[in-house]
Amino acid sequence: MDDNKRKKEYLRKLESKKLKKSPEYKELSFSAGVTWVFALLFALSGYSFITGKVTVTPLILAAAFAVEGVVQLILLHRMRAALLKSKPISRAMRLSGILLLAFVVTGNIFAAVAGFTLIKKQRTLEYTMTVYAAITTLGVIMVSGLNLFKEYVANNFMLGMGLLVAFLVFYLLTLLFIHLWERDGKVDKKLLPVGVLLIISAISGNVFALIAGMLIISHYRHQGEDRAIEWRDIWERLFRNKMAVMGMLVVVFLLSLSLASALTFDYGVAIDNNYDAILRPVSMEYPFGTDNYGRCVFTRIVFGARISLIVGVCVTVLPMIVGGILGAAAGFFGKRADNIIMRLLDVQYAVPDMLLAIAIIAAFGANTVNLILALSIGMVAVYARTVRATVLGLANAEFVEAARSCGARDWNIIFRHIIPNSLAPIIVRSTMGIGTAVLSTSSLSYLGLGVEPHIPEWGNILKIGSQYLETNPYLAIFPGLAIILLVLAFNFFGDGLRDALDPKLK
Amino acid sequence: MGKTAAAWGPLPRTRIRTYFKKMYARPIYRLLLILLGLPTTLMVLVKHLVFSNSASYDKLRADLEAEFKTSGLLEKLKAQALESERNKSKFLKRSVSDEQLKVRADKVAKKKYDQALQEELTNRMRREKIHSPDMLSTYLEWLDNPAFFWVSVITSLPMYLLVWIYSKPYAKYISERLFMMIFVMIGVIVLVFTILYLTPMDPARNILGANATVEKVAEFKRLYGLDQPYLVQLGNTIKKFFTLDLGISYVGNEDIASALMRRFPITVQLSLASMLVSILIAIPSGIISSIKQYSAFDYIFMLVALLGLSIPNFWLGLILILNFSIRLGWLPAMYDATKLVTLIMPAIVMGTGLSASVARMTRSSMLEVKNQDYILTARAKGLSERRVIFKHILGNAMIPIVTVIGLQFGGILGGSATTEKVFNVNGLGKYIVDKQFIPDIPVVMAGVVYIAIVISIVNLLVDILYAFLDPRIKSSLKNY
Repeated sequence: MDDNKRKKEYLRKLESKKLKKSPEYKELSFSAGVTWVFALLFALSGYSFITGKVTVTPLILAAAFAVEGVVQLILLHRMRAALLKSKPISRAMRLSGILLLAFVVTGNIFAAVAGFTLIKKQRTLEYTMTVYAAITTLGVIMVSGLNLFKEYVANNFMLGMGLLVAFLVFYLLTLLFIHLWERDGKVDKKLLPVGVLLIISAISGNVFALIAGMLIISHYRHQGEDRAIEWRDIWERLFRNKMAVMGMLVVVFLLSLSLASALTFDYGVAIDNNYDAILRPVSMEYPFGTDNYGRCVFTRIVFGARISLIVGVCVTVLPMIVGGILGAAAGFFGKRADNIIMRLLDVQYAVPDMLLAIAIIAAFGANTVNLILALSIGMVAVYARTVRATVLGLANAEFVEAARSCGARDWNIIFRHIIPNSLAPIIVRSTMGIGTAVLSTSSLSYLGLGVEPHIPEWGNILKIGSQYLETNPYLAIFPGLAIILLVLAFNFFGDGLRDALDPKLK
Repeated sequence: MGKTAAAWGPLPRTRIRTYFKKMYARPIYRLLLILLGLPTTLMVLVKHLVFSNSASYDKLRADLEAEFKTSGLLEKLKAQALESERNKSKFLKRSVSDEQLKVRADKVAKKKYDQALQEELTNRMRREKIHSPDMLSTYLEWLDNPAFFWVSVITSLPMYLLVWIYSKPYAKYISERLFMMIFVMIGVIVLVFTILYLTPMDPARNILGANATVEKVAEFKRLYGLDQPYLVQLGNTIKKFFTLDLGISYVGNEDIASALMRRFPITVQLSLASMLVSILIAIPSGIISSIKQYSAFDYIFMLVALLGLSIPNFWLGLILILNFSIRLGWLPAMYDATKLVTLIMPAIVMGTGLSASVARMTRSSMLEVKNQDYILTARAKGLSERRVIFKHILGNAMIPIVTVIGLQFGGILGGSATTEKVFNVNGLGKYIVDKQFIPDIPVVMAGVVYIAIVISIVNLLVDILYAFLDPRIKSSLKNY
């Protein structure tokens, strides 16, 4: 490498370092990139290279996203010029964030996030959380709104939509309140009721609102104190990781959607046969088409999210409790107990979980409860091993010894030191575990061994779709995409959590 | 050569003695020693009962205890312990009642007193050449006498073989693992049998239909041994697995062992093909990702890898069939054992998840090694970049990668059912799933247990491979 080249390389690195310091720039460049990827994906799905068929709707979306992408690139270019001259982002530039917010009409939430980031100069974690809460609610409103194209809507549709819109307005107002009453790291007392309301609004499944409320209240209570609050740091680290936040957004969105669907979606459309509308193609009325009984696949997928989430959480929590107790006992009581427990769990570990589940379901029949039990039993050994390894590592850790030498009692050491410190690996494993459980559930349902066939579960929907692969391939494509989306979201979130919880990276 | 000959030759008696002592201290080995050397055990037992010099030992102990009592050591220790307990509570600023302090101090003092007594006892015994009256010392005396020793070698060779195995680290490691594996296998049989035994459904009624007469049902149960108690059935099942005679299936009177053997090679072929595919993709991309960390390739590839972990197998299979069989017509959708082309799609589908996890593991394990000091040394001494990457980094990062491949092999075998169902592969997974609807319990049982056993064997082989390849494991084996 000659000197000139090296100099160029160095300057390039210096520039990118400068740019990376600005969260607005990072957010906008991420959003621009994702917008272009989506534009490309829509274009590809609108025109099939194999059959040469052209579908109009995706192409329109592709064009819209392309326009948005161009706008964002222009903004990005100007911001880059400003930042490289070490100038602050101008007011006009910040106001153009409103334009980005408007892009949400086409479903471009990435641009919306970038817009919210651009508008406000000093953003606190509370602000960011509320932004995501608002975006989640907006997404639920938009998806529920698709029901308006149907012949009829659910009885409680207007009530549900009204509530959702009220929540959205409240979140937007909260953003304003945070802007007004949270200055220079100080929280005004007037913000407290807002925080309480945020927590209450979390009944809609909006975890972002819950966290935002808790952040506001804890911020108020601890203000002026010069100490770091552990869990606030964790969220801050997590929100630096774009993909992890996107994963969390998808999970919270699906959670909110499945709660809202109780009001805004009609369960009848998902399960009742409608012989007038058999195997309809994709349209506004039936966004994902209809299956061989004339049931709306879109509605079925929405209701399927509920089952996937419930099964996923159960299959994670149950073995976590059982395995956690067994693993902790093995780690604590040492030698004899350790040997017996771990050898017995080795037996369970030797049978692949899919096969164990198949054997259990063969014996007890295929239904949701048996499925949950079957998958849970297969996971016990994994959690027990994780907990045991952590407990063994911690029991000999220096800080535990320090606590002991200071005269701390056993239960104090267990609850104050060992449990909080052993949570991280378990949380990470369980987040990833939910994704795996969703995959196993749909696989078993596909084989006819999982959820009862009449319940709209993603694997069941796919099973029907696979029979019409030649004529109506979308019946199999969309439920699969839903599974991938949820599992991928959990994997990204889990990956991000692992990095955020890893104290070595602090 | 001479050294090898010595290492493999007969063990000198003194070494046998030390190993024997070590083994005797561990319950399972003690049991094995007693059982394998039954003739010697009996002779030693007779000698022990007749000649054991427990009288002199008892006398010594009684004398010593009396001596200690008169010396007032216990009182002195108690006072000391009480003092230190007091200081402790004062330092920690804790108010503890005097009574509690005294109880604690007494406990500590008693422990110390017992220790001192035991120590003195062993000292005296050594001085006065009195042996403690347990079986071990009688055993050791037996070994010390050459004539008796040779008699025992002739009568109970298996015991000495066990001692010989124990003396060789590798042999010991492998046989311990094998022993564990047999235990796990029996455990797996018991687990799966119990699950299937607890079924609330009546297989006889299911298969013969609701209209079957009582006699017919009874005949069916007798034929398959279902009328016997749990433990007898369990015993029969375990025996069946070890004699490889798995009986016949409920439906179709098929010989289960031969049916499994017909399908097993297909599943293994599929698994191996998918492993090959995934290793070919995963390891190179993992290497590039780690060498060019934070590059565009790294980001994109790790995104793709995470995507690979999140795709359901059967969906990927359906999409591949849709595009490559239905639309393009390049590859046949159905598997055909005679055509190798049909193996491509199932192998890709089954290999996706595996390649994703192997690639992630390759990357993280290489990253860990990349920043070690010895890599810096390798670079400093002027090795070419290629040599550093492949010999030094990859070589040292290989162990976790091989572990993941070994572990995932189990996952592939166990999860083959969905892929086999999609591509209509007549393999083991599909067979089990098809039969479980009946439910044909002996078939499900045999299939699940056999796959579990194969996976255990593969994992054992991987572990043993390590013991030979990894110098760290090698040295730790020699020390334990």
